[in-house]
Amino acid sequence: MRSTLLCDSGPARLLVAACLVCACSPAQAGIFGKSQPVPQWGLDAYKTHAPDYAKDAAAVILFDEYLETVDSNGRAVEREREAIRVLKPQGRHNTCEVSSDVDEKINYFRVWTIAADEKQYMAQDADFVEEGETGIPTMLATRKSRVVHPPAEDVGATIICESEEVLAPFQQEKVWSIQNGIPAVFQAFEIDLPAGRAHTQAWHNFQPVPPVEVAPNHWRWELKDMPALTLRDIPSRPEWEAIAGRMSVQWGDAAVEGNDNQWRAIGQWVTTLEANRPDPSPEITAQVQTLIAGAPDFYAKLARITDFIQKNIRYFVVMRGIGGLQANHAGDIFRNKYGDCKDKTTLLISMLQVAGIRAFYVPVDVRRGIVDPKDPSLYGNHMITAIEIPTDVQDPRLQATVKSNDGKRYLIFDPTNERTPVGNLPSYLQGGYGTLAAGSSSQIIALPVLSPEANGTVRKGEFTLSLDGTLTGSVDTSHSGPEGAELRLILKDSDDKERRESLETEISQDLPGVVLNSFQFVQPAALDKPLEVHYKFTAGQYAHQAGPLLLVRPRVVGSHVLPFNDKPRTVAIDLSATGLWHDTYDITLPPGYIVDEMPDPVDVDVDFASYHSTITSKDNLLHYEREYVVRQIEIPPDQAASFRKLESAILTDEKGTAVLKKQ
Amino acid sequence: MRKSVFTHKALLLLAIASPSLLLAQFQQPTDEELKMTADPKAPGAAAVYLYREETTDDNLHFHSYYERIKVLTEKGKELATIHIPYQHGDFKVTDIKGRTIHADGTVIPLTTKPSDLMDIKTKNLQFNQMVFTLPSAEVGSILEYRLQTRYSDNIVSSPSWEIQQPFFVRKAHYFFKPASGGNSISNSRGQVLSRIMWVTSGVPTTSVVNDQSGRYSVDLTDIPAIPSEDWMPPLNTIKWRVEFYYTYAYNGQDFWQTEGKRWAKDADKFTNPSGQLKSAVSQIVAPGDSDEQKARKIYAAVMKLDNTRFTRAKSEAERKAEKLKDIKDAEDVWKQQSGSDDEIALLYVALARAAGLKAWPMQVVDRSRAIFDTSFLSLNQLDDYIAIVSLGDKEIYLDPGQKMCPFGAVHWKHSLASGFRLSDKGPVLATTPGATFKAAVSERTAELVVDPDGSVKGTVRFILSGPDAIHWRQVALRNDQDEVKKEFNESMQGYYPDGVQADFDHFLALDDSSVNLIGVVKVNGNIGTATGKHFFLPGLFFESRGNHPFVAQDKRSIPIDVHYPKLEEDEVTYHLPPGFTVESLPQAANAFWPEHAILKIGAKTNSDVVTVTRNLAYNFTILEPKDYSDLHDFYQKVATADQQQLVLTRTPIAKGN
Repeated sequence: MRSTLLCDSGPARLLVAACLVCACSPAQAGIFGKSQPVPQWGLDAYKTHAPDYAKDAAAVILFDEYLETVDSNGRAVEREREAIRVLKPQGRHNTCEVSSDVDEKINYFRVWTIAADEKQYMAQDADFVEEGETGIPTMLATRKSRVVHPPAEDVGATIICESEEVLAPFQQEKVWSIQNGIPAVFQAFEIDLPAGRAHTQAWHNFQPVPPVEVAPNHWRWELKDMPALTLRDIPSRPEWEAIAGRMSVQWGDAAVEGNDNQWRAIGQWVTTLEANRPDPSPEITAQVQTLIAGAPDFYAKLARITDFIQKNIRYFVVMRGIGGLQANHAGDIFRNKYGDCKDKTTLLISMLQVAGIRAFYVPVDVRRGIVDPKDPSLYGNHMITAIEIPTDVQDPRLQATVKSNDGKRYLIFDPTNERTPVGNLPSYLQGGYGTLAAGSSSQIIALPVLSPEANGTVRKGEFTLSLDGTLTGSVDTSHSGPEGAELRLILKDSDDKERRESLETEISQDLPGVVLNSFQFVQPAALDKPLEVHYKFTAGQYAHQAGPLLLVRPRVVGSHVLPFNDKPRTVAIDLSATGLWHDTYDITLPPGYIVDEMPDPVDVDVDFASYHSTITSKDNLLHYEREYVVRQIEIPPDQAASFRKLESAILTDEKGTAVLKKQ
Repeated sequence: MRKSVFTHKALLLLAIASPSLLLAQFQQPTDEELKMTADPKAPGAAAVYLYREETTDDNLHFHSYYERIKVLTEKGKELATIHIPYQHGDFKVTDIKGRTIHADGTVIPLTTKPSDLMDIKTKNLQFNQMVFTLPSAEVGSILEYRLQTRYSDNIVSSPSWEIQQPFFVRKAHYFFKPASGGNSISNSRGQVLSRIMWVTSGVPTTSVVNDQSGRYSVDLTDIPAIPSEDWMPPLNTIKWRVEFYYTYAYNGQDFWQTEGKRWAKDADKFTNPSGQLKSAVSQIVAPGDSDEQKARKIYAAVMKLDNTRFTRAKSEAERKAEKLKDIKDAEDVWKQQSGSDDEIALLYVALARAAGLKAWPMQVVDRSRAIFDTSFLSLNQLDDYIAIVSLGDKEIYLDPGQKMCPFGAVHWKHSLASGFRLSDKGPVLATTPGATFKAAVSERTAELVVDPDGSVKGTVRFILSGPDAIHWRQVALRNDQDEVKKEFNESMQGYYPDGVQADFDHFLALDDSSVNLIGVVKVNGNIGTATGKHFFLPGLFFESRGNHPFVAQDKRSIPIDVHYPKLEEDEVTYHLPPGFTVESLPQAANAFWPEHAILKIGAKTNSDVVTVTRNLAYNFTILEPKDYSDLHDFYQKVATADQQQLVLTRTPIAKGN
């Protein structure tokens, strides 16, 4: 069973995770081969015509076949054969690469090109480049990729790659990615198992295809004419990988009958892998006893421990072979004060153990929708913690709770997110799934979607409009829940200059030419207290003269519009986060002016959200108020019309203009 | 045995800092250092370097580095992880020692073994990174480490000191002991490099102290952090550094003369108008052609060749299979009908000469990367070749290596760029001319029909010349037209008001660099808002989002580089629905920054048609910080003027009979 935990701590690192997946997916392998003719399978694949449905694609996979040969110890050798035809100039980057780590071995990696003019070439040593994963400052990784730049890789050429790699000894699972950014004419997957060794398979976002037993305990799946999956022009879309079809094949402990049993086996494997890692050292024990001394209740104990880890353990990833999955020992993490997601979870479990609180590993993926309860797999990129809540504890501060199928309650917590308080949960995790790795009680669990009240912003502004149209004033905002946590993370990773520039850039979206007179971020030490931002500004010509009238936009700053369009929708709509946002702005009008006309109020209520705004005037005061509530984190495509209605209404409201006239 | 010069490129990646063999022990922190929570000379900084030291001894073949860093905020903790890039094989990283000192004086030594990770490896070259992370870093900690890079006895490696760092440096010491016996050092041409020279940027040359023993040192205090701003000129012009190198030259004049002759000899050899080229050019030009016609025809001919900068270079296997020889001169390029951008530029010179024209090659620094520095005696600065042809009494600068660059122009990165050129007087240092705003025009027109519900539908046309047109045409060389359409549409999205959906329709002249490039886009969406009596539309359709540069920031300490001057011309026509009349047009605006920039906005109405025009021109490329205030003021006026609205009044429609 193998996957790699990169310990993504939020959307900001998604690119990293995506890159890792790229490196792991169409794995080719091998050492450079001596000049050899194109193999027969490659010549056969070359004869495949690019189908009509590929006419808009940059390239097309003509043939892609995996063969996993598993020995009696469960160790697999993977062979991949792939033929790709370049259809457009930008299709040249669709080539082959193979990645390997310290406990894997590339037996060979051979690449040929049959050019558009039918000439044949074999890639030579100079056509290959090896690249390490050294570009991430907070990561130490031993995985390497071998990338080929094939000869004659022009439009019309067919690239033919064959590789063989001995996989890591602990790998007992293969995720077959059946959908790509380009179409595939023919794909096959084979697993050749020793007698008596079982396998199971599960599918994500694809109608299961039964295998054929081509030899004793040697199974083969075939797929034809897989369309490309492109989400480029779709606004507010889910993660690509959450939609793309895939199949997971297990040949180790998780190759057992029944979905629940498979998840249990996966969780059990993780439990065994991490066994003893959380054992507390004397220093940990002493630290915990100091922290929880005098703690009045369960939450206080928890918060003191989680706060310690969030503030004192620096994020640093070490991925070396199985170290990509297995944590360091808690004592080492505590002494070095750094670690990745599994390390932070390990230390948390260790410290909670000292405090008499049981906690468990929960492998997840920060990209909602990737972990699929119908597809038992360790596929994911992050590790979080499930903290068992004693039966006698009923505390409303423990919001992110789930109940396991044996009736136990768990608080879900991400110790890698250094600013989301215990009890709450980062929005990127909400609505996803994770594996509760609790030994024989292991199971898949749905991560909670918190109520709107657990997240959001209250923004108040008081402004004065001058006769020349200049708007001066102050804005006070209070950000709670995951939104406040995200802002705290931005503050953590920035200096004063960057903060000012960031704030100026944000405000100038609504107020071009704004001058930020002062600003202040107030971060209470307690993470469950809202983060406050206070700033004052001057915006010249905010109001515009139109003949005798003065035009002013009552919604001064801040936007809630999500990207949308009016094209037919087939994929879900990602609303990003649940929450409640409330804005109140008061504009004191220039002397001698009164409100002549105001935009109509907006009232939209749909299943998943609501938006209400009002504009009123009294004496020389223009008052704008709105409340935006999001109750769901993702909605199905059949609600696209409601989504458009909501977003159009918000957009119209945000652009609304009030007309002032002289008294 | 002679030693060869190891160019600094292997160490340019060395983004870490430094110390020295001379320090057998770490430095004891002072109470002030332990207790400090901020540095008044670096307000708001995430960390400061208390001390940095770099020592190079080219006799003993090592560089040593030593750093002491005070962590002031959470962000500063990231400095606890050190990446040391180095060239595998010739160099190795040794003697890594490190420790973290907490604010209370507790010392936590580095005990984990550093990891030697492969960064990139090709057939002939490998770069690695040595990575380690200091333990127990926290806000208030002092991070301290030292290490050495050692290199082979048969090479020397003079230092390149990157004086400025990502954070403020309180104190820094640099020391260099050059290799003795300079006669034993040679370059790849076998020239004896018996002298040491250095180039400085940001720091005065006098800060480099040369002692009686021929050793060099630099001691500096209070070094500001590397600046980071939008629209910065190339870093080599603003980042503080001292770079040493071994040379044969006595001085700059000696060097540039000698290198100029060598460069000219190579260039002349490559551009030799051989018999085959003369024969070829006779098929391109006609006997009665004027010089300009010849120059244009030859330019068109070389533009048709396979330019591997925009396609790809053939692999060894392909060249072998096609029996292609290595390219040694322009004749080879013509025979193969393929070459790199530089080879094609030089081929143009050769063909022009073969046609009897006076033509010269020039090699310039790519201005998007760096600015030429004559005090740095190195031809490695030079990047790309362009061509100069004499037509009448004018010299025309051409860029044959830049596919889709029209005749008579150069890519912006080759304008105002310095380097070597050949001339009637032989090789000379020169600078290419800059362009005016008229050479880079972006016209945007919108013809929009407004519905009573506030929605609009219509056509937008982008008419581009100059750098923008070259950019999109070069994108089209690497992508098919569908992809270019998508990228173009995505890049223009920011010019439309919120609520507009744009669907790209077609290009005109995407593959013809001699005329303007036109992109046609169908747009629709809801951009109007209403009250009971009034209806509002964005006055400046293309600028209503207000994404203007130089507005938010009111001060600037480093120059501004906008790459090239430009003219934007907008014309937006709204066709109003029945029952709507114009109450107020966007006000005319006329902002003027003498000799630098101008904005003109005008609006007119005729029956049910409203036309709004906006012209913005800026005629500068690089500005000094002293000009920033004026620039900021100008763009503030632009930003506010662009926010105006078109105000309509609903009027009752007379009912028909």
